[in-house]
Amino acid sequence: MNSLFEPIQLKTSLGDDGILFVRNDDILDTMVKTFLLVVSVIIVAALIPTQSSFSSPRALDLIIYPDGSTHISTEIDLDPFQNDYDLDLFGSTIDNLVVIGDNEFLLTTDVMGDSALIQTFGSSIISVEYDIHDLVSKQGRLWTFSLDSPSEFTLLLPKNSAIVGMTNLPINMEIIDDQNQLTLSSGKTEIDYFYSTNLSDSITNIETESNNVLYVIIGGVMIFIIIGFGIMIHNKQKNLKLIQNIQTIQKNNVTDIEMIFKLKPDLREDDKELVKFIFNSGGEVLESELRKKFLQPRTTMWRAVKRLEREGVIDIEKKDLQNLVKIRKNMEKQE
Amino acid sequence: MKKLALFVIFVLIFGTISPSLVNYAYAQNDPSILLRIAIQADKQIVNQLDRVYGDQIPNNIQIIYDKGHTAVQSLDESLPNDLKKAKKDFLSAMDAFMQISRIISQSAIKVVNTSDKIDRDLSSEIDRLEKYVKTLETISKKYNINVTNDFIKIHNLIEKTRNQTNNENVKYDKIIDEIKIILNSIKNDIHESNSKHQSGFIKQFFNKLLDKINLQLIQAENTGIDQSQIEKANGLILEIKELLSKNQIKNAKIAYVQLKELMKNIEY
Repeated sequence: MNSLFEPIQLKTSLGDDGILFVRNDDILDTMVKTFLLVVSVIIVAALIPTQSSFSSPRALDLIIYPDGSTHISTEIDLDPFQNDYDLDLFGSTIDNLVVIGDNEFLLTTDVMGDSALIQTFGSSIISVEYDIHDLVSKQGRLWTFSLDSPSEFTLLLPKNSAIVGMTNLPINMEIIDDQNQLTLSSGKTEIDYFYSTNLSDSITNIETESNNVLYVIIGGVMIFIIIGFGIMIHNKQKNLKLIQNIQTIQKNNVTDIEMIFKLKPDLREDDKELVKFIFNSGGEVLESELRKKFLQPRTTMWRAVKRLEREGVIDIEKKDLQNLVKIRKNMEKQE
Repeated sequence: MKKLALFVIFVLIFGTISPSLVNYAYAQNDPSILLRIAIQADKQIVNQLDRVYGDQIPNNIQIIYDKGHTAVQSLDESLPNDLKKAKKDFLSAMDAFMQISRIISQSAIKVVNTSDKIDRDLSSEIDRLEKYVKTLETISKKYNINVTNDFIKIHNLIEKTRNQTNNENVKYDKIIDEIKIILNSIKNDIHESNSKHQSGFIKQFFNKLLDKINLQLIQAENTGIDQSQIEKANGLILEIKELLSKNQIKNAKIAYVQLKELMKNIEY
């Protein structure tokens, strides 16, 4: 009777010696897939709540005004079963607070110290805007912004401000309407900046990432076009181009001291003295000789030399562990 | 089917993780940002040192500056290949420049927090107010609240203030206070109008919430919680429903606060 229920696998897998053979590739396959499935579900389950957790700002944008007051705008996801929400403000000197809930209802808020009780009545997302005067302090000409942010945020600095110190790595920087906008990560951040109407020139030196991308694209297209034209024209005007190049090089070739000052009209008076001395010493001197001649401390002279190098007037080379300062032969005209 | 399930899981995982990957990639995309900020800070510090000390820079400041400047040079060399070192150089440079700027400023004046009204700048104050006015204007337009004349008056006052920022005879504080009074009245009008529009929304919310609390009370009854507390909660639910039906939203809110407190006491 029992033999009627003999399993098929058993029947086919038994060898001559009565050894049981089992196909283990299916078992392995199932085990791997089950393991993968379980791990995947755990990962998804672990990550989803952190991405959509309630009471976490989904966006946080800060604008610093020239007087150091800061406008804050943020959007916060909320539990739709809550009838109120206690919002931690970034300080206690709050102005112009507006909280808007679902359907753009203006929500009622009570500010108590550095928190605001908002009657949300089931709003799943609220947008909060307010001005605050606690985030920026000023010492002399130096302004310091400090914030312990719960999330990544953007910070728009005032026009004509220049950053001179920061404690965090920025994620990104852009220029919006002549203002630097930094994207910073969560946590404590301190940024020192100078604010003055005279800083505008230096600020425009900083280019935006988006501008860079645009420049790269435009540059790429331009290079492509130029190369195309270049190849076309190359054969026809080879000789003419060569002559023009020679003339261009000769145009900026430094032959006398007046020419240097003509090309670099904005040099400081003390720097001009240095240049004169180098020029009259055959166009190259050791930095130590400059120090002896002008009786300057090492660091002051080093800064002056570095400044001239930045201006494109000189080149610095190493010679027997000393700095050899040379007048640049092909100088570019100062813009 | 198995393949489809695996594909769905893969999409889910990738979809969940990808935002963080994108952020990470974005941060690393243009590390030259770090160099641009550091060079800018270096230039500013040199300007400040020239302005304050000329060629007589104190030795301690010079040492810090050299450290910062060397870090900027090292940052330039580290990019674009050695990002880890570049980050370290950037932080080191910015830390040095921060120290210098603070030393320079320390000798100047005591720290002033911008919350001190004296330091406020009029044009910033007007900018902030204008932003606030625009927000309220948008809300009032959406709900057809008739406050157009008030906004016209505010805009005129703002323009007047802007045009006369250098006139010492104009009492700006008074004008700004006047603007703030009108804005408060507008805000009250919006709240009043809102409560009419909002009542349906609030009723819907309360009904949803009360249904949820009802279920919690049934569960609580089964776990042997004090019957009198449960009866009290049920009483409050009925009271809230009655108040809502009579459109007494404010009283319903007060009763709900009591109910919430009670639910907290019975640990729900």
